[in-house]
Amino acid sequence: MSVIAPKFRLGYFLKGIIDNALWIIVLVTLIVVPLIQVLLIYINLPVVDGELLTPFLAFTLIFHPELAVPLVEAIIRSDLFHIAAFPGFGFAALMAAAVIFVERKMLAKLQLRVGPFYCGKIEGIFQLIADGIKLVSKEIIIPDKADKPIFWVAPLLFVGAAAAFVALIPVAPGGEEFDNMPWVVADLDVGLIAVFAVIGFFPIITVLSAWSSNSKYPFIGGIRALHQMVSFEIPLILSLLGVVILTGTLNLNEIVQSQTSFPWILFLPVGAIVFFIAMLAELERIPFDLPEAESEIVAGWLTEFSGMMYGLVQLGSYVKLYAFAALFVTIFLAGYNGPSIYPDFPQDIIDDGIIIPGMTGPLLTVKPFTDGTAVLDQEMINGLIWFVLKTAAVIFFILLIRGVFPRVRIDMLLHIGWYKLIGLAFVNIFIALGLLYSGILAPAGAF
Amino acid sequence: MSKQLTPKSSKKQSPESSKNLPPGLQLENVDDRIMTLNVGPQHPGSGHMRLIIKVDGDYIVNCDPDPGYVHRGEEKMAEYRNYITNIPHLERPVIHDSCNILYPYCLGIEELVGIEVPERAKYLRVIAAELNRCVYTQYWLAIYGIFLGHSTMFMWPAGDRELLIDLLEKMSGARVTHAYFVPGGIRNDVPANFEDVCLRQVNYFEKRIKEYAGIFYDNPILIARTKDTGVLSREDAIRLGTTGSVLRASGVDFDIRKKEPYDVYDELDVHSNVMKAGDSYARSKVPWLDMLESCNIIRQALEKMPKSGGVRTKLKPNPKGGDDEVYRRVESGRGSLGMHIVSDKKPQPYRLKISVGSFRNLIAMPYLLKGEKLGNMPAVYWSLNYWPVEADR
Amino acid sequence: MSTSDNKETAQESTQVEAKPEDKPKENLPAFEKSLTDKIQKKFGDKTEIAYVKSNRTRVNVKKEDVVKAAQFIREMGFDHAESVSGVDYPESKEIEVVYHLGSYSDPTLAKQILALATRATREDDPKPGNDSTKLPSLRDVFYSVEFHERECFEMLGVFFEGHPDNRRLLLPEDWADIPPLRKDFGNKGR
Repeated sequence: MSVIAPKFRLGYFLKGIIDNALWIIVLVTLIVVPLIQVLLIYINLPVVDGELLTPFLAFTLIFHPELAVPLVEAIIRSDLFHIAAFPGFGFAALMAAAVIFVERKMLAKLQLRVGPFYCGKIEGIFQLIADGIKLVSKEIIIPDKADKPIFWVAPLLFVGAAAAFVALIPVAPGGEEFDNMPWVVADLDVGLIAVFAVIGFFPIITVLSAWSSNSKYPFIGGIRALHQMVSFEIPLILSLLGVVILTGTLNLNEIVQSQTSFPWILFLPVGAIVFFIAMLAELERIPFDLPEAESEIVAGWLTEFSGMMYGLVQLGSYVKLYAFAALFVTIFLAGYNGPSIYPDFPQDIIDDGIIIPGMTGPLLTVKPFTDGTAVLDQEMINGLIWFVLKTAAVIFFILLIRGVFPRVRIDMLLHIGWYKLIGLAFVNIFIALGLLYSGILAPAGAF
Repeated sequence: MSKQLTPKSSKKQSPESSKNLPPGLQLENVDDRIMTLNVGPQHPGSGHMRLIIKVDGDYIVNCDPDPGYVHRGEEKMAEYRNYITNIPHLERPVIHDSCNILYPYCLGIEELVGIEVPERAKYLRVIAAELNRCVYTQYWLAIYGIFLGHSTMFMWPAGDRELLIDLLEKMSGARVTHAYFVPGGIRNDVPANFEDVCLRQVNYFEKRIKEYAGIFYDNPILIARTKDTGVLSREDAIRLGTTGSVLRASGVDFDIRKKEPYDVYDELDVHSNVMKAGDSYARSKVPWLDMLESCNIIRQALEKMPKSGGVRTKLKPNPKGGDDEVYRRVESGRGSLGMHIVSDKKPQPYRLKISVGSFRNLIAMPYLLKGEKLGNMPAVYWSLNYWPVEADR
Repeated sequence: MSTSDNKETAQESTQVEAKPEDKPKENLPAFEKSLTDKIQKKFGDKTEIAYVKSNRTRVNVKKEDVVKAAQFIREMGFDHAESVSGVDYPESKEIEVVYHLGSYSDPTLAKQILALATRATREDDPKPGNDSTKLPSLRDVFYSVEFHERECFEMLGVFFEGHPDNRRLLLPEDWADIPPLRKDFGNKGR
């Protein structure tokens, strides 16, 4: 009855299929296969049943899926996976997506409305996917007089800086078998300094993008962002000095491990408050969202971004939000430390792994495979749950403020930053020094 | 560099505001310090108008409002339509306050034609006008909230407004554009249980808007932002001829409902809210106090209203006025709303001039914005209780 | 009504017709009458009291005297302009501008609206700003008329001499027709 297509011909149809098949073969040959080969250089292929798992052997995984387990473990242990997926960017992006959804839903409840509702069966849970598809499909418009290379690269830089920030956060303990090597992309001895260095990139990227768009409102927004971020970096850094004085280390993982018995927020609440407020300003969240104040300067430095460029900046800013909340947890709320929240694994699982009948090997080993981190360490899972819970709590408070406060003005903001927060940060340092010299607390080996 | 701005006192009287430059020529060619910003008409913080703002750093040195983007020529249209057919289009300039913009028109036509309104209709008019004032003010307050970045204050009034819209729907049958007032009364009587429903909803509404104080008016950041910004002194408010909440926030006790009562306002106990400060905070708070007062007036009117009786004195077909003119004014949500109707013995008005509160408050905008910080622009601009569509007519 | 000598236009002359029965001549409101008496005493026959109604009075003056009359009215206590409406009278080749003046500062005058009307000559082929349709601006007397006079200029083509800012306000910049509120500006379909 109905017409399939106005000009449907079988010949065209077959030609289309053949064309597509041809293109797929060409692309696989030229791109995918070399990519796999390059990838194989970086992945240490495991030894399965006394035999190195070569790509040829890997094809037999189709018939013996249990053989894939060591391969999966090898991938999980690789640096690429660390950077791209679990403790790194993928995990952070997932958290960021959850934050966006929770923010919209929570703000809606606060404001007596429904929020995302229709997309997805349960409470609009797929709204974010729909928004993402919309953003990707939108046209990217570049202003005519923009400095195009900088303008193009600025959103990528923003996301990159946010991801670099995420890379420094330890999210879970590694377990005792590996000298407490945590789940973190970069376990640096100068971790905190690296964090400050990465934070220092954001105003530069903001001003670059604002300047390169060659438009008035982004320019004003960029200048505001510069003022705001530079002036709040000082209290941000000073507020963390107290913890550094008391722990005697800059390594974030060691800071976390110094809080096994109590979190630093108990002793340094002033520092925590200063850090929280400075964090809001760094994140451009309400009440400090002056660089994006829509009633004054349209959308601030984001005005000229469109389509997925805007999406990238938004992704970056939410990844940054997660990273700051995680930093707050790491430094003041004892990071991944926490009591065990579920009973121990049975001993046979720890010894032998999860064995499913019919498979020749264990499905997931709890013990370390060869070197590096364990995959399913109990301590790691416990730590990760605590870390995520605490981060979610901090993020909740960051989001809550948005429903309660109006925006401040730039002069009030600078006044808060330069006069009040810096003073309070010094008070915090004096508290830390007092604790240190009175002998109540001291880093290991200080006396 | 010092922000040497001319003091306000010298700014207002001197012919400095005579803008010899055409709007296209921008000062930034002359002086690199000055940047011209085109705030509007496609700006989230402007409404349907344009403000040409010149900033020196963070300070506004010049502001030139440019309304007219929603000019519909209501006055011209009215000259071609009969007195009755003018009603539906005359409420278009401010559909959220449609009862109040029709009020002076109906009063004027009644005076021209010489008909008397039934007592019950007078009370129902007052109720509808006060409900509509609250509906408008809620909308205005919602936008004031979002202009200051307070998204909860955007959603709450926009939601609570529905309570009163439902009531007006019960009265008139339409949610927003009611066309409820006609010369000679109101279009139709209210349904049987209206008094109870109205009392209940208004009481709940009053309880709700009292909760705004906690989240908005007592908010320390809001107070810090709006206190002492855009101060309009009492003398300036009078001299600039501002009206409504802007005038009363500057300490002038002038409410037309009280000073020149129309319909049954003289039988009701109307309290006009006055604040002395004259800053943005006072201007944002007076309409909120007015809403509380409106709830009082509605309760009084419901109590005193005759329970039965006609609501409309029928006009003759094609009513004509004499060779006469009238000027009637009412207190709308944005202040005095006057209509000057000139009649020449024809069924159409010879000339209908609508003098609206928004247009009269517009003159205060460049005066207040000069010398303010750019961040104060939305706080001052929207506190003037300015509705761009109404100002353009 | 007694003071109205009914010769200026037909508009005021038939004031009695509108409400003949409830406004006999003796019942002129006293306070409003005292206002117009003051004006008439000061200016004599330069002014013409068009009508005295309850809370509303109207004074017609020639355009030479309008600034002086406005200054005197301001001294009487009227401190702001409620509205400035221009009315086009093609038959008499005149455009009337009516200032509705009110008072905030004097509580006794709070109810009163005093309409001060003056007339400018009208040209059939208007060139706004460049023809003889000119009136002195009252902006220096009543600051609040500034935007009203701008509107009157663009809508009726009355140029206000002495107004600092005789620019378009509501109409678009590329408006090239005659001022739209003139009676000879047609309305399509009507």
